[in-house]
Amino acid sequence: MDIVVCVKPVPEPETRLRVAPDGRTLDTEGVKFVLAGYDESAVEQALLLKEATPGSTVHVVSCGPAPRTEEVLRASIALGCDKATWVEAPALLASDPIRAAGAISAVLRGASHDLVLCGKQAGDDEAGVFAAALGELLGAPDLGYVVDLRWDAGAQRFRFQRVTEAGVERWEAPTPLVVGLQQAWNDPRTAKLPNILKSRKAAIARVPADAAVVGHASEAEKFELPAPRTGAKMIEYKTPEEAAQRLVRILREEAKVLP
Amino acid sequence: MTVLVVAETSAGHLAAATRDAVSVAQALAGGAAGVVGFAAGPGARVVAAELGRFGLPRVLVVEDPRLESAPVAAVAPAIAAAADACGADTVLVGGTTFGRDLVGRLAVRWKATVASGVTEAARVDGGLRVRRPVFGGRATETRRLGGARFALALRPHAFPAPAEPPVTPQVEAVGVGEVPPGVWAAKRVALEAAALGSGPSLGDASIVVSGGRGLRAAENFHLVEELAAALGAAVGASRAVTDAGWRPASLQVGQTGRSVSPQLYVAVGISGAIQHLVGMVSSRVIVAINSDATAPIFRVADYGVVGDLFQLVPALTAEIRRVRAG
Amino acid sequence: MPDFSLSPEQESLRDMARKFARTEMAPHAAECDKTARFPEEIYRKAYELGLMNLNVPTDYGGSGLTLFDQCLIVEELAYACGGMTTSVIANCLALEPILLGGTPEQKERFLKPFCAEYQFASFCLTEPSGGSDAGSLRTRATKEGDHYLLSGEKCFITNAPHASLFTVFATVDSALRHRGITAFVVPRSAAGVIPGKDEEKMGHRASSTSTVRFEDVRVPASDRLGEDGEGFSLAMRTLDMTRTPIGALATGIAQAALDHAAAYSLKRQSFGKLISEHQAIQIKLANMAQAVHAARLLTWHAAWTIDRGAKGTLESSIAKCFASDAALHVADEAIQTFGGYGYMKEYPVEKLLRDAKLTQIYEGANEIQRSVIARELLRAYA
Repeated sequence: MDIVVCVKPVPEPETRLRVAPDGRTLDTEGVKFVLAGYDESAVEQALLLKEATPGSTVHVVSCGPAPRTEEVLRASIALGCDKATWVEAPALLASDPIRAAGAISAVLRGASHDLVLCGKQAGDDEAGVFAAALGELLGAPDLGYVVDLRWDAGAQRFRFQRVTEAGVERWEAPTPLVVGLQQAWNDPRTAKLPNILKSRKAAIARVPADAAVVGHASEAEKFELPAPRTGAKMIEYKTPEEAAQRLVRILREEAKVLP
Repeated sequence: MTVLVVAETSAGHLAAATRDAVSVAQALAGGAAGVVGFAAGPGARVVAAELGRFGLPRVLVVEDPRLESAPVAAVAPAIAAAADACGADTVLVGGTTFGRDLVGRLAVRWKATVASGVTEAARVDGGLRVRRPVFGGRATETRRLGGARFALALRPHAFPAPAEPPVTPQVEAVGVGEVPPGVWAAKRVALEAAALGSGPSLGDASIVVSGGRGLRAAENFHLVEELAAALGAAVGASRAVTDAGWRPASLQVGQTGRSVSPQLYVAVGISGAIQHLVGMVSSRVIVAINSDATAPIFRVADYGVVGDLFQLVPALTAEIRRVRAG
Repeated sequence: MPDFSLSPEQESLRDMARKFARTEMAPHAAECDKTARFPEEIYRKAYELGLMNLNVPTDYGGSGLTLFDQCLIVEELAYACGGMTTSVIANCLALEPILLGGTPEQKERFLKPFCAEYQFASFCLTEPSGGSDAGSLRTRATKEGDHYLLSGEKCFITNAPHASLFTVFATVDSALRHRGITAFVVPRSAAGVIPGKDEEKMGHRASSTSTVRFEDVRVPASDRLGEDGEGFSLAMRTLDMTRTPIGALATGIAQAALDHAAAYSLKRQSFGKLISEHQAIQIKLANMAQAVHAARLLTWHAAWTIDRGAKGTLESSIAKCFASDAALHVADEAIQTFGGYGYMKEYPVEKLLRDAKLTQIYEGANEIQRSVIARELLRAYA
């Protein structure tokens, strides 16, 4: 099976968030970019499918600037991906999931791939639109929030589940397919030391991103961190019912944590 | 300008997430008249009538039964065509699994500028300005969307209810349009409806209600559990509670227990010793209910209610149930 | 000019060790400390990922890392648990004499099969009546034609209850003192090898330590490393190589202590403000940070010196001695920063003090390190 997995370098989960001097974006000074979250699961799922289906290859692709993109590709190779392509693009392009999908689709359009795996959403922007845009560009259906993706070689179709608001859905689909993965059937593996050393010398194909594939006029204007806590806003009330009403209204309209 | 609202169905009726989309649509369109609804699948006409209750005067429906079990790619062409047909420059949808997928597709097919998980949206010169949480809610970004067309998936529960008076909508059937054959080959074959009952686990929950020593006895802990059930929340406990054996240690939040960072943490009868704070202080919003106004928990909480929890908690549970039912 | 930055390869190695330490080791550190459990499942995972046998060349199935890269990994592991790290790196100590003193045939015969499987090896030098005074060891190796008979008792041997291979130092003639000491490789399966019961220790409780008795153990001459009387020198050269990673281990413990104390100081309040705003705490944290920083750089410099081919005795002794003293002091101050909470086992800092203590004692007690430092130093002035 010809499997492609798309990964995005994101700030490591423990990063202390700071606002960049221009106030528009995250301050990336000293921030470490890694393969994380759902992307890690996507790589794991790709490798599991490869191991279950003899004769398969996993091709990992990522769009972005140096050095973070190369590092994430090498991390994926160390985990077991066979081939890697770095779509070189400035951070601004790579951080827009629609434009990143455009740039990556230009690289993938040449060949027909059985499966294109992505994480359901990136650890930083959490937009969750990349897989859908890529599916539209490649002319393949996409399904997101997928767990437990299996290939039924006899029936020549994928069988998987999706966790949605409606509940647990069972699906089947033939190739080609684009998947936004939520969870692989195993926890992501850790790369072995000898493979980490080997991955440093692995060949990575480099292709400059074609920015013209998809235009998308979305611009970062402000990046804000929540104000530090200065003590609780105390709710005044005369009866417990009034306290309850006030609190619920505040939580729904002001704090927006309740429907 | 006209806004197209794409409705979703939940258990045969209009999904709650679509109400957010209607609310924002009416704000962006400057009133009910500029909003057109879209519903697809077997229940489309039922949903269309429900959209009328929120004031939508016109709803386009696609009744192709195949859409019920097809991927979003199957309905995206019809939505793009519908938007063009009614002259909409903006498509809004709830930020559900369906909605986020749809805007991703429309970004390419309909050449729209898109955003998902949007908590605020307003028209500005040359486009829209939107706000959305990022990094797991630890930060918020504001984006300016330019271009001629927009598609937004709105964060559920972030908007007030639609306020327009109900009408009987004009319902028009439209075709499903050109769907690539490969798309129909991907099929949903079964659906297990989401199970109600046992709440989420402490680690995954977006709301946690924790009880402490202030509850005075094991028999009173049910007040916390009832509030949690009403909120669809996980239950947590302070060390005092688990040490006293009122509840198992697996519920303990704190230094030796779990560390949680839900969207909402409600601390009931918990004083806020540092050993507990360490386990929950990174929650997005913290509410504390305690009889002692000087309790340390009020230093880290966002909202506080000082008083008798034996009266406040049941009142809160009743209010949550009332709001959820209505 | 020296370049203190890590190469991308070194960053990858360190990240991998950090990830393993924080996700696999750290969650079980407190429980293994409490119950003195030897976490086989964690050690096995470490082996499978290539984190054991770090010093053995890849030709023999090890990870073949430079001393510097080993130190990067050891510090990360020790940050999560000093005891588990001691057991993971004990193989390196036991196998080093084979690397330094074995013939190519012996290296092939011992190292290849050993590294091919998950197993432990133990370095047997210390005896009940002689630790620092290694030259006075009493385990006898009586020569009988083409073999030796080993008899004696070793103690405080890391991993002995689990080891399948022992590197043993015994004397062929005690009248020769250290010039009679000879090194042997002894499999557990040899008759008369009797590892003892796990000792109950102050710290490093996830690691396993016991006596090993040798009762007329027959060891073929082909399993002797080097010639009769070359064992003491081999032991000293081994410790020259393994001293520096202990500096890294101590640095990891110290860094963990500093991180806990600093984080706590930003949460705890007293006298109306965060304790991080009190000068007493700021001075403590500043001193702790200096100690950790210095410990790491001394360790890095010692490793770099040895990787360039120098013996590095002075540098490695300074690194081990300084870092272990620093770890103890930093852990002590971390407990003090936590106040009463620091004294409670519910909090992770008291374990760090108990774990730090051993680093001042094993792999050459700091008193001996100071003797070595003085000797090396004065040599330059003689």
